[in-house]
Amino acid sequence: MPFKEDKRDPTHVPLITPPNLPIEIKRENEFGTLTSKTYLHQVKSFEGKEIPDPVIDTPPYYISIITYVNYLILIIFGHVHDFLGIRFQKNKYTDLIEKDGMAPWYSVLESFYVRRLKKRIDDCFSRPATGVPGRFITCINRVSHKFNEYFTYPGTTRMCLNLSSYNYLGFAQSEGKCTDYAIKTVEKYGINPGGPRTQIGTTDLHREAERLIARFVGKEDAMLFSMGYGTNANFFNAFLDSKCLIISDELNHTSIRTGVRLSGATVRVFKHGDMKGLEKLIREQIVLGQPKTNRPWKKILICVEGLFSMEGTLCNLPKLIELKKKYKCYLYVDEAHSIGAIGPNGRGVCDLFGVDPNDIDILMGTLTKSFGAAGGYIACDKWIIDRLRLDLTTPNYAEPMPAPVLAQIISSLKIIIGDINPGEGQERLQRIAFNSRYLRLGLQRLGFIVYGNADSPVIPMLLYCPSKMPAFSRIMLQRNIAVVIVAYPATPLIESRVRFCMSASLTKEDIDYVLRHVNEVGEMLNLKLNSGKSSWDGKVQRWDIEEVIKRTPEDCKDDKYFVC
Amino acid sequence: MNTATNDTITGASVLPTSIPIPSFIVTTYSYIWYCFNVLLIKVPGGHYVVDYVKKSINDDPYRTMIEISLILYGIYYYLSKPQKKKSLRSNKPDLSEQEIELLIEEWVPEPLVNDSPLDMKKQGWRLEKIPIVLDGGIRSHIKVSRNNDNEIYDNVLNLSSNNFLNICNSERVINKVKETIKNYGVGACGPAGFYGNQDVHYNLEYTLSRFFGTESAVLYGQDFCVAPSVLSAFTKRGDVIVADDQISLSIQNALQLSRSTVYYFEHNNMESLDKLLSELNAAEARENLPAIPRKFIVTEGIFHNSGDIAPLPDLVKLKLKHKFRLFVDETFSIGVLGSHGRGLPEYFGLKRADSIDVTIGSMATAFGSSGGFTLGDHVMAYHQRIGSNAYCFSASLPAYTVASASEIIDIMENDNSEVTKLHRLSEILHNTMTSDNENNDLNKYVVIKSHKDSPVLHLELTAQFRYNKFHYTKDELYDTVSNLQKKCSSHIIFDPYENEEKFLQAIVDEVLTKYNILITRNTFLVKHETLPIVPSLKISCTSEISEEELSHAVKQIKETILRLCSSL
Ligand SMILES: Cc1ncc(COP(=O)(O)O)c(C=O)c1O
Repeated sequence: MPFKEDKRDPTHVPLITPPNLPIEIKRENEFGTLTSKTYLHQVKSFEGKEIPDPVIDTPPYYISIITYVNYLILIIFGHVHDFLGIRFQKNKYTDLIEKDGMAPWYSVLESFYVRRLKKRIDDCFSRPATGVPGRFITCINRVSHKFNEYFTYPGTTRMCLNLSSYNYLGFAQSEGKCTDYAIKTVEKYGINPGGPRTQIGTTDLHREAERLIARFVGKEDAMLFSMGYGTNANFFNAFLDSKCLIISDELNHTSIRTGVRLSGATVRVFKHGDMKGLEKLIREQIVLGQPKTNRPWKKILICVEGLFSMEGTLCNLPKLIELKKKYKCYLYVDEAHSIGAIGPNGRGVCDLFGVDPNDIDILMGTLTKSFGAAGGYIACDKWIIDRLRLDLTTPNYAEPMPAPVLAQIISSLKIIIGDINPGEGQERLQRIAFNSRYLRLGLQRLGFIVYGNADSPVIPMLLYCPSKMPAFSRIMLQRNIAVVIVAYPATPLIESRVRFCMSASLTKEDIDYVLRHVNEVGEMLNLKLNSGKSSWDGKVQRWDIEEVIKRTPEDCKDDKYFVC
Repeated sequence: MNTATNDTITGASVLPTSIPIPSFIVTTYSYIWYCFNVLLIKVPGGHYVVDYVKKSINDDPYRTMIEISLILYGIYYYLSKPQKKKSLRSNKPDLSEQEIELLIEEWVPEPLVNDSPLDMKKQGWRLEKIPIVLDGGIRSHIKVSRNNDNEIYDNVLNLSSNNFLNICNSERVINKVKETIKNYGVGACGPAGFYGNQDVHYNLEYTLSRFFGTESAVLYGQDFCVAPSVLSAFTKRGDVIVADDQISLSIQNALQLSRSTVYYFEHNNMESLDKLLSELNAAEARENLPAIPRKFIVTEGIFHNSGDIAPLPDLVKLKLKHKFRLFVDETFSIGVLGSHGRGLPEYFGLKRADSIDVTIGSMATAFGSSGGFTLGDHVMAYHQRIGSNAYCFSASLPAYTVASASEIIDIMENDNSEVTKLHRLSEILHNTMTSDNENNDLNKYVVIKSHKDSPVLHLELTAQFRYNKFHYTKDELYDTVSNLQKKCSSHIIFDPYENEEKFLQAIVDEVLTKYNILITRNTFLVKHETLPIVPSLKISCTSEISEEELSHAVKQIKETILRLCSSL
């Protein structure tokens, strides 16, 4: 296709020609070189110890009230807007009302939240990017028109420090061993997936990758799927039915909920991380059995995530295993965010807690995050996997994982294990551990409210007011930092937040830069609300930025500064 | 503060004297008000409330009293809720702690997955029969290993791939892939909403909508997840879905997740559909609903389980007549039907934008890339980007897959030689399979389910032959299985069906060992299927194969089928 640059629709995202950079600079932009050996941290296993319940810091009352009022105003204005609009600007509502005897795709009320709340801040979501989402991400500039009704693209870009991608170990790279292997694989295997795994779609690469993953997570066998969401969404119906019970953490990912709904199993939800509530629920359910018939449940499966992606909290694995054994339940752990990113050897929550992976029945994870690839896996005992290969829909109906992705998985796994380039995997793990701790403690000391565990690379910082979300996101973008903001329904209504995703590709200096800017913006937006509840000494933290940068890199390696 | 309290007490005495009020009410009221006042003053900003209340007492004391009683009732209601819950749970047996322990002790769960060795013996053979492609990609000639490398076949002719067009292996596409990996890496490392969608993703969406002639396109990570996610994003309880009764599992899942009322019409039977739609609309008119429900007709382009083609022009007529929306899964027809591979509408000479409201397609079939997509108008696409779970909560596709798909479509727009070649091959596949059958018994044993323009050919045993040899019918299989499904049995196995599957696999094995040709059973799972279905053999052609090779191979397959069926 010849280039039609001149005839380009200005509302279309342009294809950006990659800049011609010297290879060293390209490398550096994707993965910053370590600036000093002191900026590494070796995580230690908890050796089977439970973690204390997370301490949740709360903002002053007036913040909660302002937040509610903020929503109230938005909602009232939205309704007034709709009320008047439907009467006087009918042409703007044609898509939302019945037309030619057909229902609209979405009615006025169904889409209220989206149109009147989310649309106002649409410029903070779905920012188009280009190139590698590594240490820096290249955002494509856009201009908003008519309050985000549509965007135009002048064709320029902005290079931002990347705190948004799930690039935990920094494998999002286009230079290095992984890329070389991926390209070699394209030459040998092509890209076409063939057909479903059971018909034609299995290659020796699948076999190799599955064995590697099984070895990595410490299970007998594993299975790969081409999409992480699809792994969960089509998993539970293979072995659960309406006579089975699923006990699910309230914050479990949508993919798990979809999968559970498809299986038809009954679901009971426990409060996030509440192990006492969980035990009570299990006891009650074993006694009560199925609703109406009161027959005992066929099986009970406890579903949790290893690291919760919106909270940065870990599941309390030792306690879960204890409960599971005591009550003969089965345990399913979704390690989407924890595999690769957490633990002394990057092997996820089992590694971090120092528990035997065989105590968990099903380990699920995605390869989209730490490995810079795509897709998901399930790891279990061999006899279970064999049965699942027969009963799961995905390998029988869906497309398999394509070869270049497998190549990325195999090579990145081998780097983490140390089969390729010994030492590199170790360094990546130590860097993400240091980076996560440094940013987390730094933010806390500056006075922000931060959720989650010390070792979590997901660092949610609370903003509360919905109007501070776009403000924060836009100002950070101006300062060349790409962040992700999340609000209701992904979080509780008043706990809007910004989520920093740490990466091994960032250097300590990058994090200094982030801290300085978050500090300034935090002052501006009145975000320093830390009450000291979740700090180690119980004191309100309002450190000076220079002091934070000077002392935190050493302090953050010490567990005593983190309450959980 | 002192003055404030004094004020309030006198405030209560301001009550109009015209209506007699028992004095105890006045005193309690004043007392409550006093306590309230003391409390409020301590709370920051509380004096505003006090001022407001005082003012309103002056203006309209009765309103204030009503308001206060409302608040009190609210508090009472709030506090009494847990008790209500408790009483609802009264079916909870009143057990002592010991009895509970005993019950927990007694409870024996089933194993996590079916662990019966007998079941594994009946079904486990399938695992050994999965072909593993060695030392290279899935092309027309492959090296295959089965049964833990105990069987190895070299230079096997591959007649089971779904990548019907060979464009994905062209040098141009492979170079594009390498270039993209060199510039973007492999993974996108984030969902579409959070920096996961890159310029290449947006541009594939433009390319798709341009190629298929729709307003918009939306990309998904895996073809199998698209239908369940899209359909349930638009439907809710009370909406109506009318579906063909031979749709594949992906759409069956979609219907289950849609929460809507689902009706089935007889496969490709337009009279049955017309009648059903008229009845539904009549019933709806009788009900006098406050709003029109969303209504969909759901079908497939080339059917996943039979290779049949949906009669689009009639469907369009009916959808317009009855005011339904048309939802078509074109996983197998995209890139295949029509002179340029634009799918079902091009095949029938229609415009996609005028005929189909929601199209679901796969880039992992004819295009030979990865992922799925939907096509439709702007409004539908916009809502999908917010309401469709598999789009919002999953990482974007790797950049190289979308860049390669763009490249493949660019090639297809300008050059339809591959598609034409595929059409010729499909014809040869069909003609060779059907020709000369008067002179042999093939028709007695198998029926060809597929349309002659489908590149996938499904062969089923005839009902008579199945009944004679395996002693069951389609309905019997369906009834047995749905009964087991209803009972939530962990052992959904029907032996006659298993035997037929084994027989079909024997044909596959024979073709592979004797002629070095790989065909496959249509792998479906009765455990999950909710519609009647029977086993079939699947032969598919790809444009990489030469015509002579194909016709030669089909003859050999035919010969094998004849031989094995007649000797059964
Ligand atoms: C817990 C969890 N499971 C599954 C997924 C889906 O994975 P993928 O993005 O690979 O589809 C995610 C992604 O965000 C997740 O957080």
